[in-house]
Amino acid sequence: MSTQLIDPSWLQLGVAAGLMLVAIGLSAARGLGLERDLVIATLRTFVQLFAVGYVLGIVFSGANPGLIVGILLLMLGIAAWTVAGRQRRPTYALRVLVLGSLTVGCGVTLILATEIILRVQPWYNPYYLIPLMGMVIGNSLNSATLAVERLDSDLSSGRDQVEALLALGATSRQASAVQVRSAMKAAMIPIINSMMVVGLVSLPGMMTGQILGGSAPLIAIKYQVLLMYMIAFSTAVSAFLLTTLRARAYFTAAHQLRHEMLAG
Amino acid sequence: MPPTIRMDEVSVTKQARRVLTDVSVTFEPGGVYSILGPSGAGKTTLLRLLNRLDEPTAGTLWLGDTPYAQLAAVTLRRRVAMVFQVPIVFPGSVRDNLLTPARLQPQQRVDSSDCVGLLALAGLGGAVLERDAASLSVGEKQRVCLARALMTHPEVLLLDEPTAALDPTATQRLIESIGDLNRRLGLTVIIVSHQPEQARTIGGRIILLVDGRIAEHATATQFFAGPVSQSGRDYLGRALAGAAS
Repeated sequence: MSTQLIDPSWLQLGVAAGLMLVAIGLSAARGLGLERDLVIATLRTFVQLFAVGYVLGIVFSGANPGLIVGILLLMLGIAAWTVAGRQRRPTYALRVLVLGSLTVGCGVTLILATEIILRVQPWYNPYYLIPLMGMVIGNSLNSATLAVERLDSDLSSGRDQVEALLALGATSRQASAVQVRSAMKAAMIPIINSMMVVGLVSLPGMMTGQILGGSAPLIAIKYQVLLMYMIAFSTAVSAFLLTTLRARAYFTAAHQLRHEMLAG
Repeated sequence: MPPTIRMDEVSVTKQARRVLTDVSVTFEPGGVYSILGPSGAGKTTLLRLLNRLDEPTAGTLWLGDTPYAQLAAVTLRRRVAMVFQVPIVFPGSVRDNLLTPARLQPQQRVDSSDCVGLLALAGLGGAVLERDAASLSVGEKQRVCLARALMTHPEVLLLDEPTAALDPTATQRLIESIGDLNRRLGLTVIIVSHQPEQARTIGGRIILLVDGRIAEHATATQFFAGPVSQSGRDYLGRALAGAAS
């Protein structure tokens, strides 16, 4: 059996795009009204991925450490803006806080994984840093979104309980401990679920990609295990920082709940 | 002896609306004060200021000779405890609820016999201690909240319409318990109510708030004999007529 990678031709990709025509046709037949979105999604997938591929081609061939770090920071910035943008009150302070939490969580993870565990050479080797960081940021982004949303909704719905604790002499940290815990839990559950079923229900994208790319399955699996641990670690660190620091924004220095921050 | 609490020309503005305007009043140690007034008069806001859950927009509150702003809010709230209109019990048993203030400040020594004694003062028997707090009736929950607030050994007790959700029998029992607390523990009690008859039963002094201003400040006897101000007479007339119907 040949293990040589098949390079799909433009014609073959065009045939694959024909699958989207079927999806669009089904949407129209059922009156879903998703045809326009499907056309846009089809085009965006093509344009965005090829644009990134083009940029990665330049980055990988040039391998300039400043450029690599710049791209990693840009990825973090876009992730932070996305997380904050999905919230009810996407303030500048929230964007900065998310950026800081993700930078620490994902940054420490990447340094540990590439510089201490894998010891990649040179240290900025984009073949390792960019895909690993992309996977870690992508997962941390979802977790951070869940954490901020949960904290906001739990503090809003539990404001009476929080104030009852404050009235008993609790500090704002004590009064919001339940909500902070619940928000961090919400952030951690997706990665725990993924780790529980990985290999049984789902075959992760990176591992599949590596196997298709010709890697030995055992090496692909080792990378996938490393990646899962990286994601769990970065999610825990980012969510810990984010929920702890974000909860403070809901209180004044005199341990008063800032009602204008709450929903409803 | 509890400290004197003084409000000095206190005003509160919320979302461009004046909720309290130039409120100046002194709460003497060991006194019982009923804050009356129509809905939206600023009664709850006044109580929240006293517990420092809110800050005044202007003016100063004093605990003894110290301005509120110079006191740690956490310490102040243990000395000036508050019970809310809707009873909020925390997950767990009644005992867990009563021990919450001690858990918040682990260095504070708590005698578990306090639980039984304070529950009795709030009008509940020790048999409820191990019951799930969520399973209690509204009246019982309110008593648990009262006993829980007393666990910090406060000097001043703030009660925000504590009988609003209770039936007449439970209301009567709670009013008796509050009177007991004032007499036996020497607490200053400040109670917000929208029922003048209840304030008459409690006695002490009446402060009537109308549109965020103090319209009347008198003893219960003087107030019910006839308010001095027109707004006081209007309020009392309407409130008593409403109660009669």
